Amino acid sequence: MFLWFARRVSRVKRRWGVISTETVDRETAVDTDESWVREYARDHVAHLLVVAAFGVYPLLYSLLVALGGGVAGAFLPRPETMTAVFYFGLFAMSFDFISGYTGYLSFGHAAFYGTGGYFVVLVANGKVPLLPADTPFMVSMVLAGVLAALLAVVIGSVSFRLSGVYFAMITLGFAQVMYVFMRDWGFLSSNPRDGVAVSNDLHPAGFEIGIPGVDALNLAIGPLRGDEIEWLFLDLGATEVSYYMVGLVVLVCYFAMQRMVHSPFGRVLVAIRENEERARAVGYNTFRYKLGAFAASAFFAGVAGALFAGVRRSVSPDNSLYFLVSGDALLASIIGGFGTLAGPLYGWLFDRSVVEFLSKTGAGGGLLPLLREYLPGSVVEAQLVGGMTFGEGIEVFLNGHAPLYLGAVFVAFVVYVPGGLLGWVRNRLGGTVAKQLPAYLAKLRR
Amino acid sequence: MSLLEVEDVHTYYGESHVLEGVSLEVEAGEVVALVGRNGVGKTTTLRSILQLTPPREGDVRYDGESLVGLETHEVADRGVGWIPEDRRVFAHLTVEENVRLSVPPGSDEEAGLETAYEAFPDLREFADREAGTLSGGQQQMLSIARGLVNENDLLLVDEPSEGLAPLIVENVAESLQSVAEDTTLLLVEQNLPLALDLADRFYVVDHGQVVDEGSTEGVTTDDERFERLSA
Amino acid sequence: MTGALATVVEVFVSGMAKASLYAMMALGLTLIFGLLGVLNFAHGSLTMVGAYVAGLVMVTFAAGSSGLGAVVWFVVAALVATTLVGGVGAAMEVGLIRKLYDRPPIYQILLTFGVTLVLDELMRIVVLFYGQQPRADWRAALGTKPSFVDGNVSVLGASIPALELFEVAFGVLVVVAVWAFLTQTRYGLVVRAGSEDDEMASALGVDVRRVFTVVFALGAGLAGLAGALLMWDPAWGASVPLASETLLPAFVVVIVGGLGTFRGTVIAAVLVGMVDGVTTYFFNEGIITFSGISELMIFLILVGVLVVRPQGIAGQAEVGGH
Repeated sequence: MFLWFARRVSRVKRRWGVISTETVDRETAVDTDESWVREYARDHVAHLLVVAAFGVYPLLYSLLVALGGGVAGAFLPRPETMTAVFYFGLFAMSFDFISGYTGYLSFGHAAFYGTGGYFVVLVANGKVPLLPADTPFMVSMVLAGVLAALLAVVIGSVSFRLSGVYFAMITLGFAQVMYVFMRDWGFLSSNPRDGVAVSNDLHPAGFEIGIPGVDALNLAIGPLRGDEIEWLFLDLGATEVSYYMVGLVVLVCYFAMQRMVHSPFGRVLVAIRENEERARAVGYNTFRYKLGAFAASAFFAGVAGALFAGVRRSVSPDNSLYFLVSGDALLASIIGGFGTLAGPLYGWLFDRSVVEFLSKTGAGGGLLPLLREYLPGSVVEAQLVGGMTFGEGIEVFLNGHAPLYLGAVFVAFVVYVPGGLLGWVRNRLGGTVAKQLPAYLAKLRR
Repeated sequence: MSLLEVEDVHTYYGESHVLEGVSLEVEAGEVVALVGRNGVGKTTTLRSILQLTPPREGDVRYDGESLVGLETHEVADRGVGWIPEDRRVFAHLTVEENVRLSVPPGSDEEAGLETAYEAFPDLREFADREAGTLSGGQQQMLSIARGLVNENDLLLVDEPSEGLAPLIVENVAESLQSVAEDTTLLLVEQNLPLALDLADRFYVVDHGQVVDEGSTEGVTTDDERFERLSA
Repeated sequence: MTGALATVVEVFVSGMAKASLYAMMALGLTLIFGLLGVLNFAHGSLTMVGAYVAGLVMVTFAAGSSGLGAVVWFVVAALVATTLVGGVGAAMEVGLIRKLYDRPPIYQILLTFGVTLVLDELMRIVVLFYGQQPRADWRAALGTKPSFVDGNVSVLGASIPALELFEVAFGVLVVVAVWAFLTQTRYGLVVRAGSEDDEMASALGVDVRRVFTVVFALGAGLAGLAGALLMWDPAWGASVPLASETLLPAFVVVIVGGLGTFRGTVIAAVLVGMVDGVTTYFFNEGIITFSGISELMIFLILVGVLVVRPQGIAGQAEVGGH
């Protein structure tokens, strides 16, 4: 007689619907004499603009910091941070690919990110059978993705028999099993709790991204061991090279996912999210579609983890496999826009910008050094409650406590902007940016 | 002034417009039947009165006062009860607990139990069983018993005969008849003979509107006005 | 053979002590889920806040008092933690979660996730401000245990930490109290009815919204109470990471038991606690050398139960007719 849950479960089992902002109709007003190149470019004008903006960012950043000093540095994220935004943004997008599009909350997605990260580091250290330590990074990265995808097939074939909160919990369970295992497995390193690092003896140089085997088409990444380029007026340090190379991989991955989302395959995923019963009734084997999407998503999560480990040359259970890592992807997805694919990247960019704005203690960036520099002494010394000065107050609240503000922002998004940044923009434009922008520009031209 | 006045009520489920201006009246002491095909808005009419699905337009007045904008429990406090479709007994509560819960706070629970068991002696026997283990007919009795002890002046009864064997339907009809002796009933019923038998007046609902009404006096099930029901 | 018997008693009591901690962590979560259908991600953070609040009361007032005095202060601390954290829960429900009841449940979960970030970071700021380490256990609070809870007791030849007996007693007391509330009081009846069918309950005159608030406060209060108990246990202790460390076992217990069922939660807590106790013993004896074995087993139980019986030990697949 203590069982009292009948209805509640059905309420939870009801689809975890999300805002559907996708409009299916295509922009069809095309002038007949246009070449397909121009047509294609026009269809992708939004993508081109975004890629161009990211492309000039490092140059813009150094220019603005040179001109504006501390003020520009305080508000703009550093290129190092942007590199992290790329790889973790890719992970967040892969999370959105499965959770935002099918409505199945993959709360153990960190398992795939961690798989990717651990795999490339272990390959580089010669700890993976059949793969020599000098396996090109590009190869081990792709294999990391494949391994993650295989893992997803195993986890998914069990988990997709469940839905709603049960699916979230079983994937969480799998990820935590992996987390505990990798955390305490002595084979990995002498202290597996601190993670594993790439051996500097085996790999004195950074990992290379490019086309394997063609030396001229590869550039090493990593803040300390990456390549530097001087070419014409360009002078790119290791940080900028890492930024571009990681960005390139992420761009390719994004387009691959974008194609899938807009293919018939992607439309079935959305149909599953909207009403799985109906999708099944019209004859789709939804289980297979979900499993396929899960594997694809895990592949990109694995690649993201590989990039993460590749740049940092190390990976630890807490920064790759722990459930809060999945939580961060969720955070990015909600702020950026659940079910928008590109949104989570912007969500994570937003998140990291806030963190950096509020956390940096060193010189040259963040709000705190800026305030220290510009606030007059009388304000800093002003007494607040309990004998605490204003200066001490800002030290307490502005130094490394970004999650406080991010949590509040996140709550505000959930309550007031459930579509996230990109969802909101799409609602305003009445469709995806990629589709609405060309029409908008055409209107301006007339 | 009628006990219940429903005036040009429009109700939506999300975007779908279910009630397109329903108006009806129920006098104190009456039994009024709402008849119509499946999915024309009969249940939604009851839900709109109870404010479970609040109407977007129109008014519902009970005893001269508007119910629109009230919470469902406030509507219940004023004396409007509900015997829903599918009975909706609390499956994991015992029969006794189901009844106790229905006695309004401040009233005597033991007296309420006695009332329920007197009306439905079977329930006394099953007092300690989980309501979910009862048969459909017994659950329907429990659901009516709940409405009975809930101290209502108006009961909204939804499909009381649905899914029950003919013999049980007779029992249900009898108990509704005895409830009707001192309670006003608004009854949704697919079983036309039963509806005509129990009710003093009827409304025919179609496509979210009342399309016909009248007294059941001398009306038979093959009356032409009910033709649309079988269409 | 007395040695073997002693070992069995020791392992059993330690398993039951863990079970009672797990039950404490999960009870509030299951109450809230049962009625509101909200999987409260902030539950661990509420436990963590409760641990600090109780620790603060103990360190401020009970430091130095020994014996019965310390136990009396502990009761006060537990009550303060329960009330305060319960208040936070009520504020959460009224201020935030209530806005989202008409949205898909995922939004309520997301919301509580955001609240977790805020609560954890606020506590981190407070703790740092007083010169404490957010990661380490709060030694001063651990030190307020009276000596007779700190030592060992001899039972059937077994040497049993008194703290474990204290935890078992505390857990049993709370479980019985919650059970009595749910089954023996009118309000408990209302809560159970609302958990099954809130619409029907409201049509019978129950102000379901107010019940939601009360139950959310109660569930949060239970989290705070769990925190008070954990504050004294050196394996846990008041620290900011306590939030996620308790959230995961609480999830496991609630899911394994069958979401929102009181009986299932208690059974699952005993199961998980005993498995934890036994594997910890195996590890300590060197029979198993993998140090994460207990945690691994806990998550394997979660996965295993979800595969074999997704509705949990005491949950029912789908009941009720509408």
